[in-house]
Amino acid sequence: MATITSVIPRPTSYAGIWGWMTTVDHKRIAVLYGVTAFIFMLIAGIEAGVIRMQLASADNDLIAPGAYNQMFTMHATTMVFMVIMPLSVSFFNFVIPLAIGARDVAFPRLNALSFWIFLFGGILMHVSFVVGQVPDAGWFSYANLSEKPFSADRGLDYWAISLLVMGTSSVAGGLNFVVTIINLRAPGMSLMRMPVFVWMTLITSLLLILAFPVITVGLIELVMDRNFGTHFFVPSGGGDPVLWQHLFWVFGHPEVYILILPPMGVVSEVLPTFSRKPLFGYPFVIFSGIVIGIMGWAVWSHHMFTVGLGPVANSVFTITTMLIAVPTGVKIFNWIGTLWKGSIEFTTAMMFALGFVALFIVGGLSGVSHAVSPSDFQQQDTYYIVAHIHYVLFGGSIFGIFAGTYYWWPKITGKMLNETLGRLHFWLLFIGMNLTFFPMHFLGMNGMPRRIYTYSAEFGWEYMNQLASLGYVVLFIAFLVFIHNVFYSRNSRRVSHDPWDAPGVEWSIASPPPPYNFAEVPQILGRDHYWIAKENAEAAGTPITEPEPLVDPNSIHMPSPSYWPIFTAVGVALIGGGLLSHYALSFVGGAIAMLGTIAWSNEPTTAPSDHH
Amino acid sequence: MGLSPFRRAGTLPMQSSSNSNRSTGRRSSLKNRTVLFGLAAALFLFAVGCSKDGQSTWEAFGPVAQKQLDLFNVLLWVMVATFILVEGVLLYAIVRYRRRPGDPKPPQIHGNTSLEIALTIIPTILVLALGIWSVFTLFELQDPPEGGPEPLQVTVTGHQWWFEFEYPDAGGGKKIITANEMRIPVDRPIEIALESDDVIHSFWVPKLAGKLDMVPTHVNRMWFQADSDKLNEDLPVTLYGQCAELCGLAHALMRFRVTVMDQDDFDSWVAAYGAPPTISDKAKKGQQLFAANCTLCHTIDGPDDPALSASRLTGFLTGGDITPVPAPNLTDLRTRQTLASGITDLNETSLHEWIRNPEDIKPGNYMSERAVMYQNGPASLTDEEIDSLIGYLLDLR
Repeated sequence: MATITSVIPRPTSYAGIWGWMTTVDHKRIAVLYGVTAFIFMLIAGIEAGVIRMQLASADNDLIAPGAYNQMFTMHATTMVFMVIMPLSVSFFNFVIPLAIGARDVAFPRLNALSFWIFLFGGILMHVSFVVGQVPDAGWFSYANLSEKPFSADRGLDYWAISLLVMGTSSVAGGLNFVVTIINLRAPGMSLMRMPVFVWMTLITSLLLILAFPVITVGLIELVMDRNFGTHFFVPSGGGDPVLWQHLFWVFGHPEVYILILPPMGVVSEVLPTFSRKPLFGYPFVIFSGIVIGIMGWAVWSHHMFTVGLGPVANSVFTITTMLIAVPTGVKIFNWIGTLWKGSIEFTTAMMFALGFVALFIVGGLSGVSHAVSPSDFQQQDTYYIVAHIHYVLFGGSIFGIFAGTYYWWPKITGKMLNETLGRLHFWLLFIGMNLTFFPMHFLGMNGMPRRIYTYSAEFGWEYMNQLASLGYVVLFIAFLVFIHNVFYSRNSRRVSHDPWDAPGVEWSIASPPPPYNFAEVPQILGRDHYWIAKENAEAAGTPITEPEPLVDPNSIHMPSPSYWPIFTAVGVALIGGGLLSHYALSFVGGAIAMLGTIAWSNEPTTAPSDHH
Repeated sequence: MGLSPFRRAGTLPMQSSSNSNRSTGRRSSLKNRTVLFGLAAALFLFAVGCSKDGQSTWEAFGPVAQKQLDLFNVLLWVMVATFILVEGVLLYAIVRYRRRPGDPKPPQIHGNTSLEIALTIIPTILVLALGIWSVFTLFELQDPPEGGPEPLQVTVTGHQWWFEFEYPDAGGGKKIITANEMRIPVDRPIEIALESDDVIHSFWVPKLAGKLDMVPTHVNRMWFQADSDKLNEDLPVTLYGQCAELCGLAHALMRFRVTVMDQDDFDSWVAAYGAPPTISDKAKKGQQLFAANCTLCHTIDGPDDPALSASRLTGFLTGGDITPVPAPNLTDLRTRQTLASGITDLNETSLHEWIRNPEDIKPGNYMSERAVMYQNGPASLTDEEIDSLIGYLLDLR
């Protein structure tokens, strides 16, 4: 098989579309993840807009009930699997190797494979719109509504198979970052010197590796039920729909922490930088993250309080869920402790980080109220829960991701996003977010169930729904401002390598970083390495200047670009696509994937001819 | 309906303070004007925010909902107090420690272990206390109190997209099956067994109790009671309920009503149930049409025969066009207030619209899909035939 690699010459170009398609550079893959996920976010945002337009008045018939079910299903599925997760992964990709003083991730080609599988899986999910058979059973797709007799078209097959495809990407990514963080840290960076974002990435990656197999089992069983006549979740065949709920939420609750831990890590980087103070209680922030990662496995049935598991199960999950509030609270205390006696500078990144803390508190508190199962019996499946998850995932995750975006943008591009537009973006998003989601607490307590495409005026829900829909308009404008800012800032002047006077080692190298990241592998001096380095240099009377480009980049061997990750990803996607069209295609896909992996394993990491 | 004029909610003080903090919370300064604006906005939001209309959980008419609301109210106080405290400290830190030109580098504090331990232990005690209290509530609400009136048993079955109510013994050994409108006697515990024939639904009457799912092949049990001293209207009082678990296309249109009655009124309803109707001349034609078109699925003369129900369910699950499906029992239809699972008032106009084309009122319903007379869209009946059918249906009883 070595012949394949000798017949097909190794890609050599780093430029143009082929450069992007064959890249194994973690920084470029980060950009691919970021741009792709942002496009998916716009799609999900439009879906949210359709939902808000439909609910803006009572007894509205703007869209049909079936289309409405498709909108909220795809909105949530997209936001969870194709927006928040890959945006976090985008930051993993860009920041982790830089923050631990490494030149790339442990498995650069596997990293590229993860991205391409994610992209193709996301596209496969959206092909459902093209064929007009769109998933419509919610992002949780409870059996047995998701089974053949009640969801006859292929929509749920698109849903399950695309998630299976994307799941392989997540597990591969998780493995890659665990190995990277354990093995590739620069000398001196002991575990307890790692930046919090690196720690949260490590915990998240472990959760990915452990949680996705669970949903994979569930999804395979669902696909088998729907296509091959098994009865895992079909009551008339002796199956149990509640089994699906357990599988889904044993995955689903760790998944919630997969969505929130990385932004918590981002915020833990941004707050100290702009308070000019080290993170307060570093070990407590780390250990509370670990505790959340472990306890996150023991709370899943709080999503199922009303399923009828009985008072014993409900009691246990009430107590465990109440207790998980403690490590979460510890993080909030430490963030406030970081601000305390600090010197707070209100950059856009800092404002988003502060917004994260302020909004996450609301989401955390409302979470406590439905951790209590007797109280949750009234709130379960109402808009109160919709409010809660959006305070956690929009006020939390999305604000954290924007904090990271404004914070690392100069490192990624060498240019600054406009701060005035950034502040406008922040305030619009902050106001719009509260206007959209705060009224939903009232709607829920006033008895409005989730996932209803219409409601009658006599229930008195119209006014609050109008406020929420108005809030959506503000959010829409906020996103336009951000997009404008990205384009507007293209031509801004270059900034220094360390515009924020930041503590992380990633700020010691040029912006944007050269392909090899560090000309010399740094010796890590402590937590907040670069602050220490700058202070030492100051004390020695030789302040640090802009890093000089390395004279001969060829002296550093970096992994060479490769065709095989994208080639293999095409094969994996075709396996899924074949299950949705003609099984023969799955065999073609399998053959391609196998060919790709064989060629891959015969290809040296660095091409002998390539001196890059 | 009898219940819309529930008075508007009085303001709960804790809620408004939460809002004022929220609206003013993170604005750049705490100028008086901002605070006043925030307070006004919060009060306004609150005035329209918490209502006791319809399905609101802010008003409890029975012991189960009341205990759940009590628990939530305590949680709400705890949440609001924590919110004010934590957001207050956050806001103070943001304002107090903002960078001013020429500020020196702040002291490099790395943490404070005793503070961390205190701030771990205090919330742990707090949440454990709340958790233990909620566990007690959970077990307390599991069964009706001993020694009270004898509970009335009702089996509720969820169907796409309507509710079936079966009283195995509504009084004097009489069995009753009805649909979408549940009648219960006041001041008496109602023990409910929840089942489903198709997908998962959820049974929820917010003013009587929190929800519980209806899961196929499972039987879930709950109870509630409507207390006469909590109902602020003369009996009978009609309460709203709705399916709370996504169950497919018409999930939003799967509603129901619970009418709370005096025991005497309830007894006379039970006694009168299923009495053969006197069919007026006008309705004779309708009777024939009904027999020809509707009886495969609908029963009109008392409780459904279990064997017939089973064969309808088999027909439904097997699928295909023109098969029997489980359908609402129409016995005593005229005594009901609503049509199509609580979607619209029951009267000649709505019934005409429904029979002509049910799809207009309830998209996805199985009557349109499976009944012969809808195989080509709207009903294959003339307006006159529909009217005679309505005449018959409204004569039922």
